[in-house]
Amino acid sequence: MTADESTASVTDADPTGSGKIKPLGLIATFVVALIGLGGVAAFFMSQDYKSPNYPNGVQVAKSLGTEEVNGQSVPHVSLAFDTYPDSTGTVNGKPIHPSGNPGWPAYGMTNDFQVPAHSLVTVTVRQYDSGEPLNNPWFANVVGTVDGTATVDGQTVTHTDPETIGHTFTMRSVPGVDSNFFLNIPLPAVAGEDQTDDGEYHTVTFSFMAGNAGTYAWNCEFPCGNMVAGFGGVMSAYGFMSGFFHVV
Amino acid sequence: MSFEEQVDDIEANTILGGEPFFSRAGGKIFIIWLGFTIVGVLIGVYAPHHLLPTLLSPQGSDVWKTIVVFTVLAAPVAAFVYAVSFYSLFAWRHKGNQDEPPPDAMPQRGNGPMTVVWLAISSLLVVVLLFWGITVWNTQQVTHANTLQVNVTGQQWLWTYSYPGTGVETRTLELPLNRPVEFNITSVDVTHGFWPAVLGVQVDANPNVTTIIRTTPDKLGNFTVRCSQLCGLYHAFMNNKAAVVTPQQFSAWLQGLGATQAAADQTAGISSSASSPTTTLPDATTATPTTVPGETATTLTPDTTAPATTAPATTVPDGSTTTTGPAGIPTTTAPA
Amino acid sequence: MTTALAPPLLEDTKLGPNAGGLYERLNIWTGLGFGIFLGFVAWVVSHATLQGSNWGTDMVVTCTMLGWVIGFNIGIGTFNAPIRWMLGHDQTHEDELYVAGVGQGRHRYLKYCTDHKVVGTQYLVLVMVLFAVGGTLAMMIRTQLITAHSSFLDPQTYNAIVTVHGMVMIIATIVMVSGPFANFIMPIMIGAKDMAFPRLNAMSFWVIFSAVPCILATFFLGGVNAGWTTYAPLSVQAPPAMDAFAMCIIVFVVSVTVAGVNTIVTVVTMRAKGMTMGRLPIFTWGSIIGAGLGLYAMPAFLLAMTMMITDRVTGTSFFVAAYGGSGWLWENVFWIMGHPEVYVILIPPVAAVLEIASTFARKPVFGYKVAIAGFVAIASLAIMVWAHHMFTTGWAPNLAGPFMLTTELISIPTGIIFLCTIGTLWKGSIWTRLPMYFVYLFIWNFIIGGVTGIYLSDVPADQYFHGDMFVTAHFHYTLLGGAMIGATAAVCYWFPKMSGKMLNERIGKVAFWLIAIGIQVTYFGQFWEGFQGMPRRVAYYDPQFLSANQMSTIGAYTLMAGWLVFLYMMLHGWRNGKIAPANPWHSKTLEWKVPTPVPLENFLVDPVVTSDPYTYGEGVPDGQEVPDFAPSDDPELVPAGSAGSGAQTDAGGDH
Repeated sequence: MTADESTASVTDADPTGSGKIKPLGLIATFVVALIGLGGVAAFFMSQDYKSPNYPNGVQVAKSLGTEEVNGQSVPHVSLAFDTYPDSTGTVNGKPIHPSGNPGWPAYGMTNDFQVPAHSLVTVTVRQYDSGEPLNNPWFANVVGTVDGTATVDGQTVTHTDPETIGHTFTMRSVPGVDSNFFLNIPLPAVAGEDQTDDGEYHTVTFSFMAGNAGTYAWNCEFPCGNMVAGFGGVMSAYGFMSGFFHVV
Repeated sequence: MSFEEQVDDIEANTILGGEPFFSRAGGKIFIIWLGFTIVGVLIGVYAPHHLLPTLLSPQGSDVWKTIVVFTVLAAPVAAFVYAVSFYSLFAWRHKGNQDEPPPDAMPQRGNGPMTVVWLAISSLLVVVLLFWGITVWNTQQVTHANTLQVNVTGQQWLWTYSYPGTGVETRTLELPLNRPVEFNITSVDVTHGFWPAVLGVQVDANPNVTTIIRTTPDKLGNFTVRCSQLCGLYHAFMNNKAAVVTPQQFSAWLQGLGATQAAADQTAGISSSASSPTTTLPDATTATPTTVPGETATTLTPDTTAPATTAPATTVPDGSTTTTGPAGIPTTTAPA
Repeated sequence: MTTALAPPLLEDTKLGPNAGGLYERLNIWTGLGFGIFLGFVAWVVSHATLQGSNWGTDMVVTCTMLGWVIGFNIGIGTFNAPIRWMLGHDQTHEDELYVAGVGQGRHRYLKYCTDHKVVGTQYLVLVMVLFAVGGTLAMMIRTQLITAHSSFLDPQTYNAIVTVHGMVMIIATIVMVSGPFANFIMPIMIGAKDMAFPRLNAMSFWVIFSAVPCILATFFLGGVNAGWTTYAPLSVQAPPAMDAFAMCIIVFVVSVTVAGVNTIVTVVTMRAKGMTMGRLPIFTWGSIIGAGLGLYAMPAFLLAMTMMITDRVTGTSFFVAAYGGSGWLWENVFWIMGHPEVYVILIPPVAAVLEIASTFARKPVFGYKVAIAGFVAIASLAIMVWAHHMFTTGWAPNLAGPFMLTTELISIPTGIIFLCTIGTLWKGSIWTRLPMYFVYLFIWNFIIGGVTGIYLSDVPADQYFHGDMFVTAHFHYTLLGGAMIGATAAVCYWFPKMSGKMLNERIGKVAFWLIAIGIQVTYFGQFWEGFQGMPRRVAYYDPQFLSANQMSTIGAYTLMAGWLVFLYMMLHGWRNGKIAPANPWHSKTLEWKVPTPVPLENFLVDPVVTSDPYTYGEGVPDGQEVPDFAPSDDPELVPAGSAGSGAQTDAGGDH
């Protein structure tokens, strides 16, 4: 096989050889066309559906000193968040969610939380949203708090009415961190229609023991989305009705 | 080789004639094949036990046995293909100038007897594999009289379990040792996969349908139930811990969750007249070690222990016990 | 080669100023522009009229995607010829020459070009781009999984990436051999001057091209969270990205159907004189059997996606149980497509492997007729095994036995194909050039993939393995390790004919070893994960699976390095490689008997076919020849500066 390219060239007059193409140029053209168009076309449609959805930073629990739990002294910390009916709204001038979609509720003002390991965590939630029946009434039970109860508007309860739930705060660890940990708090609905981000609300307070250090995932188990079983739409989008809980 | 030499070569190397076996290609390939087969068989016999977690039921053991048997059967076939391919690289590789093709090889367009033998052996292997699989599958379809019913509900993104007759609904699973259990599984939203892997059974949870799998845990131990069918955002987190415990521990657990003692004992399979554990299941005392060999399962057959009076308490309240069509009844139960 | 004796080449025809009509102005950029324009119009109109309704955003997405696809195809000229014919102003001969690429140099690769060689090259480049996209997504997945609780990707993005990775790879593997090689090489192999339907050929390419942005758009629409299998009802619940995904599939199936029809009709009707079906190269048989199976299977995909769109956009409930539908309906229709589809992916590369093994062992294909029977048996059985993907769904437990039977039966013809492959190697004169390296890697990988499939075909064992990483490792071994490596061998084999250059085999061997080792490490890691019980499609896993995942990720990076080196070798060879002679592998099939680069009409004189192309060692002249009209342009025999010397003669069976 001859190694000299210049002498062995096939006819230069031949216009059909694909050896004449610039392969990198052809590839680049295809890439630009495909990916660029994917983006351009989607841009228009993203006007109707904002994604991805990244929440507003991490809320680090405030320290409240220490407490005695089962004869042991543990750190006591507090968290507070709200559940709003309209993710596109603002509270005190701040947007509830960086990329809210119309008609989507949201937890706010953050979806990520951080607490120390094996601490006593007291959470206060203000629930502004309306509600309906759960898919599974089991989620109307309070599960996983230190005494099995939560406080709703001052009243101590072990479960709420499964027919009028606004949202739930349900949390478990990611695989392998703490298989004993599980928390479920039903957040009762505000009666009536047309709830607003600054209207009526229920206050729910509960305390639980944080588990081993690691990542925990929380989500709402109430079908506040649309489509099949109410788990589409907002419920399929990370960061509105779901988030991470970092135990450090 | 010239064409005539090639023909001579073919004729000289028929299986029953020609040069000594092990100095011919066929013989050398046989040795390589033997080596690969031995390696494959050893891997098949020893590796699965180390790769699999501890399996807690006969159905789980069936999985392990199947892997071993299938690997051992497949090893000679794979070994043969590898032996011929590798040998071809060592023995017949053209070593000269790589820019030019080597001289043509012999014009062999096929070998009828070889093809027939290959077809026969592969068909036989398929029959064996099929027979094995169908036999094992049939043993898993057998129903028992005194079966513990567990209703499993899959939802995005949690499994919940309820034990009919006790009013208990929970997110962790416990099962009593040596008691046949029938899981009645459904979903309230999308398709999930109920996967207690170490029990050796799995079935999807479909909305508006109840699917059933049966197993009899025969070893104590802790395990994890995972979801095996992608179900959306938190599919990866749809796990819960589970355990196979003694019937006494199981009854105590149910009572801790709110069942009455009578209901808990009935569900655990402990005879309701028993006030002391020693008068119940004969293997209760031997059940405490965590690595009970397989024989324990055979000393206790479900049909002979639990009194008949416990059977009604363990049937599914809505009466549906077989896979139903789309008009099936959802089986979620309300909390107490 | 133009001498006084050679006929005027068709590609040298001087065309008039109006040749081609509208085609003169149309190319990929006008396609893009018109596609964006019509997509935008569709978006505005559907947004204004439909947005407020119940499934508004889904309708908008569907309409916009439709607008984009139709607009792109208008803009590139897909509809020109049919519309002109309907208007009574059909294409003239000059127009047809223009559309075949005469006089446009390399710009015809960016246009609607009916020359099957151009279409084949376009497909090759598209496949490379698709593998790059799918491969990048795969690396993102494996990077997420290098630790048990990585924060690299959130759960929604991860599921979206898993879905698009799967679907893009499926699209790429379906067309990776039938696109480049069944288009470029196969017509020359059978002695034809082009394919049966040249315009449909170009259409099939540009239609699939227009489908790809639809699936890429899913990332901007919430991502499809349901895997490439998009099981209902989860996919009915999915964000609007699912509508874009469904549109991509619908358009893709149109393309594949058209291409399949084209392939089969070409082989049936356009073979050269003397080229009986029994003298066809085995690759051609594999191409038409694969295409035929695709014609059976792919419409089920289109049907399923249409039902999905109506469920999401118009309120039907094929798949939503609450209103009388069933997820099992989806699963059945999907897998009725999904299982034959993997054989559509597999059969053409395996046929190419047989072709290459024959050439590089200098021996006929062992059991030519038996291999064809094997392919036909695989295709027939493939139609009857689909529910082995559904063993653990709870659907029809009584059918577990019959489907176990058909699934295990399919291992018999697959084994026959292996027999033919190793029989071809038996006592061959093994020429270890780069294509042959990949043939051996194919054999190694596909055995592992096939054997591990046996575990999954056993219903009781499948209860342990279904939905875990063992399944993932099994199908990656068969699809990547088997089919894709077979396609890689085909690329190395036919590269000199398609590009006119030789690949640098030293670089190729580096790529080969990285790929070979990468595949083993990556997917044995995943087998290990599967034995331990790690589920599929999870972004976070139990730390007990950490070692296996780290092994798999390290293997994946090795594999990626191997593919990047391979890509470099291709690009480098394409630009700077040694000029390839017409028949560098001294093969006996017809595509090597025409000059490189291949003339527009492939054959300057009709080929003479008197036997099959496997007469190695028989001491006879080649049975498939193109009698030389003009002197050969083989650089070996043409001294520098000479206008051409006498015709090359064949010396017996040896080149």
